[in-house]
Amino acid sequence: MADPVLIIGAGVAGMTAAVELADSGVDVILVDRLSTIGGNALDLYKAFPTDDCFYCFEGNRDRPGIRKCFYRSAMIDQPNISLYVNSEVGEITPKNGLFQVKLDVGPVYVNPKKCTLCGLCLTHSKAFTFTSPQCQPQSVKYDPSKSDEGDKKAESECPTRAINLDAQPTEETITVSDIVLATGYHEMKPVNMDEYGYGKIPNVITQLELAQILDPNGPSRGKLVRPSDGASVESVLMVQCVGSRDENHYPFCSKICCVFAIKHANIIALERTSAKVSVVYMDIRTYDRHEKYYRDARDAGVEFVRGRVTRIESGDDGKLDIIVYDSLLDKYLKFNVDLFVLSSALEPPPGIHTLSKSLGLSLSSGYFTPADRASGNEVVIGKHIYACGGALGPAEVPESVTQARAVASKILQSRK
Amino acid sequence: MTECKTSVILCTCGKQLGLDYDFLVRQIDELDSTSVVVLHDLVCQPEGLDKITELVAEGPVVVAACTSQKIKPRIDQFLSSKKKNSSLVHYVNIREHSAWVHDDQKEASEKTLAMIRGMIRRACLSEPLVVEKKDIPNHVTVIGGGIAGIEAALSLENLGYSVTLIELTDELGGHVAHLPVVAPTGKSGKEILSSRLKSLKESKNIEVLYNSHVRFVEGELGNFTIHYLSESQKEKTIRTSAVVLAMGFTEFKPIGMDEYRYGTNPDVVTQYELSQMISSGNLERPSDGKPVKDVIMVQCVGSRSEDYKRDCSKLCCTFAIDNSLEILHHNPEAQIRVIYMDIRVPFENEMIYKESREKGVDYIRGRVSMVWEKNGETYVRFYDSLLDQHFEVSPDLVVLSSAILPPDGLAELGETLGYYLEEDGHVKELYGKLRRNETRRRGVVAVGAITRPQFVSESITEAQAGALMIHNELQQGAIEKLSRGAVLSIDDCVGCSLCAQQCPRGVPLMIEQTEAEAEDEAKKILFKAAIDTLNCHACGVCQSLCPSGATQLNFLNNEQLWSEIEAVLENVGPDDPQTLCFYCEECSVSTIDIVGTRKLKYPANTRMISVPCAGRVSIIDILKAFENGASTVMIAACETDRCHVGGTGNEIAQVQVDVAREILNAIGWNGERVDMFRMFSAEPERFTNAINEMVRRAKEFGPTPVHKGTAGKWMEVSK
Repeated sequence: MADPVLIIGAGVAGMTAAVELADSGVDVILVDRLSTIGGNALDLYKAFPTDDCFYCFEGNRDRPGIRKCFYRSAMIDQPNISLYVNSEVGEITPKNGLFQVKLDVGPVYVNPKKCTLCGLCLTHSKAFTFTSPQCQPQSVKYDPSKSDEGDKKAESECPTRAINLDAQPTEETITVSDIVLATGYHEMKPVNMDEYGYGKIPNVITQLELAQILDPNGPSRGKLVRPSDGASVESVLMVQCVGSRDENHYPFCSKICCVFAIKHANIIALERTSAKVSVVYMDIRTYDRHEKYYRDARDAGVEFVRGRVTRIESGDDGKLDIIVYDSLLDKYLKFNVDLFVLSSALEPPPGIHTLSKSLGLSLSSGYFTPADRASGNEVVIGKHIYACGGALGPAEVPESVTQARAVASKILQSRK
Repeated sequence: MTECKTSVILCTCGKQLGLDYDFLVRQIDELDSTSVVVLHDLVCQPEGLDKITELVAEGPVVVAACTSQKIKPRIDQFLSSKKKNSSLVHYVNIREHSAWVHDDQKEASEKTLAMIRGMIRRACLSEPLVVEKKDIPNHVTVIGGGIAGIEAALSLENLGYSVTLIELTDELGGHVAHLPVVAPTGKSGKEILSSRLKSLKESKNIEVLYNSHVRFVEGELGNFTIHYLSESQKEKTIRTSAVVLAMGFTEFKPIGMDEYRYGTNPDVVTQYELSQMISSGNLERPSDGKPVKDVIMVQCVGSRSEDYKRDCSKLCCTFAIDNSLEILHHNPEAQIRVIYMDIRVPFENEMIYKESREKGVDYIRGRVSMVWEKNGETYVRFYDSLLDQHFEVSPDLVVLSSAILPPDGLAELGETLGYYLEEDGHVKELYGKLRRNETRRRGVVAVGAITRPQFVSESITEAQAGALMIHNELQQGAIEKLSRGAVLSIDDCVGCSLCAQQCPRGVPLMIEQTEAEAEDEAKKILFKAAIDTLNCHACGVCQSLCPSGATQLNFLNNEQLWSEIEAVLENVGPDDPQTLCFYCEECSVSTIDIVGTRKLKYPANTRMISVPCAGRVSIIDILKAFENGASTVMIAACETDRCHVGGTGNEIAQVQVDVAREILNAIGWNGERVDMFRMFSAEPERFTNAINEMVRRAKEFGPTPVHKGTAGKWMEVSK
């Protein structure tokens, strides 16, 4: 069969599956809704378990053993991969054992193959931005809503004529043999949980937002500051299981938030301002060797309080008064902190319902679920339909990568 | 001077780079080794690619443009579509490593010129690399017949390999065969295994050896020989191309933990023993066969313990809950108390935790302080940390959720298979984030619980992924790839075995020289190294360690690097202190590129030389840099324990730097003139801080004796 494989979602899982299949000579169509691929990993700064960058994945086969930053991945120049960013998967129709898929392809204002990142357009117009040095495709982005008098000049002066301001969205229909769901997860924005004041009090943030503050490539260049006024942070309170293990939101455990939070606590305590960090939890779930982060945190003086947050009040000085019930002491404790960080549930991405419906699949806890659970084949979702990474539930990078490889393995096996 | 000529194509990035191109073209044109210099506005666009294609037909080409990390794949692909050899193209990054990071145009242009001059020399001495073919047996050996081993064997068969599956016992299925229920499937272990065992039976290409024990392994990827003890206790061998390790885990037997009385009191069992009791239908008190009505389960026995296993065993909470629900299924009146520190049930396993609480399982946060017997009954004393009280109870059964440990004999087998072990004794993966299934040794893949505690479905997924990793290496026995890596000149080998010991991927083998007839018996070298370039990872560690220059990278040999160093530092004088930076083409190149993309500034009296891995830089290379006038030398490498090429290249570099420092100190120079820095691209300041520090030291220590004319006179000229 020479028909290509459609991979929906170009995060770490989708990219890995794409490269593994492409290396084995399988044509791949990789689609992402956003203009930059990499998914959550692009915003997460440091990865566990290796404590180096999040934004790297396994490179191509001609140099085995070599992993690559996203910007080095050459995704747009790799044989056998067609990359569609700014694009969404529409209707999917089974046809003669294959799938006919409609793609809504967003306007290509800047041709990524032509953009050299020379930076000329950025000097002419604010409508052009360069999101991250790690972005892939390596190209500037154009936002038509910010169009100004300079953008025409940028278009005409672009050395490679990479810019086309009149670009229109298009629709394509493709035929594919297999579909890989690599739709990932989103961090829940806990705006509906009044008890935490998220969305109302600026110094209440989520772990993902904290990651961006801690990121040396981020807006504060890695300095731990309060979002409200940019003042430096002296004390942080984190609370676990926000929306997870909660019948009103998501009854499941989001699995990676404990490590995620403790990793941040350690970065703050050991590498940044040596601010005081406290973590309010129900159970600390640092599985397997992740236990090391928990040990390190206690050694670094991070305080762990078993209990729940009961009330939060914002003071005039931007500080927050937070009342915590400590279930071990059976007492209420009062904290006065600069930053309150919510370890928010990891939820399925919007659109997963439409996708599952058009594929005739059922969901479990909102995520895709194996076609035959009893087989233990977690990546096989249906006939010629596979899933990997966050599409199956909250997953860390190594799991996503392993699952992506299992998908590639299964597809190659089915083609032998 | 060499006769070889190199063409240079110089990119202006659409006329956007602030370099003095007139100066560059003029100067490059004057160099002896330049055949032609082409100024081009857009090397990465079709017209530029055409130009490169044209130049490559004449010989080596130096592309001075933006980062090779961006343009090399495109150029490689274009050239291969034109049937041209892309190994003739050499790259200098004049954008991210020069134009974007230095404000002074003159300084940036001079640095650019120096780096191009260096690369021209490297290119001149390069040989075109060729694609080579090799046929190897289309056969893989899987060690361990548990769920991971079975799945790996079936996946490999589907990918077109014949497989030998070696099992230590007389049955397949391992621990899974005795699990009464496997979360989250709701099925028993036997049910999960059954269809796989059926496929195995029907398979034509999988041979299963029962009661067989692997003793040791010889050879390398594509040519392993497995020595095993067969069912009939005979020594036998299998020739195979790759090995899958799938020996699973052993459950910790807490005999040494007196507080639990395991091994003394028959009513104290481990969680897996309880699983076996339930799945065989014998749920009764082992001591007297009475029914089990009251159960105490103790979590983290030997796990999360400073005295035994420090880490969490991950599966035990779920196993305990599975078994609790099974007990309640058989006897809804049973009382089950689980004494825990933290209940750890990932994702949807939380739902069975909830179900168990609803069905009456009692969870007590605390610890057991002792177990004892009185009048034939078992007593347990525990502390409840939420109520801050001690309790004494008399259960029918005490179940210890015992730590999950690696199987026996791993260290022994590792001696010949060449994988490394974690501190906890499990097989160490090549790289924890992205290469979980590969081991340090090429062609040896580990799947399932042998690397860490894994749930059943995770083991199955790993086995499927592991099969792909092997398929990527073996290509069904017909290997065809670019021969880029270390090449050994056997005549120069002195048999020291440093390369074989230190290769991050265990590629060099020491081969007995049976046919060598030395004239003088005393001088005869018994063992010499052998390196298969097609198996090589091309890091250059063997080259930097080789005392006789016998092993060298075919794309960066000693002569190439030394002449590059010489050319890069040409004209460096006492008034012009220069810092030479060797950077690895993995994390360091990314970090330096990101510094460039973010346009962070650092001084321009720095010269950059790329090496495939920091481990490629030898003491000699460092000293050559000083000999040619560098004031300070730095090596930019991957973070500790995160070396891309198997985890040890950067440590080898550290040793080289340490020795170089001692040498400098010994001859009266300042050892601090050389240093090594670890970095990754998420923290670009690591590079700017490092290079600023080395430039500062260059200034502080002043000119070296090379410039003072006192070099070799065994003393540093004091300020």
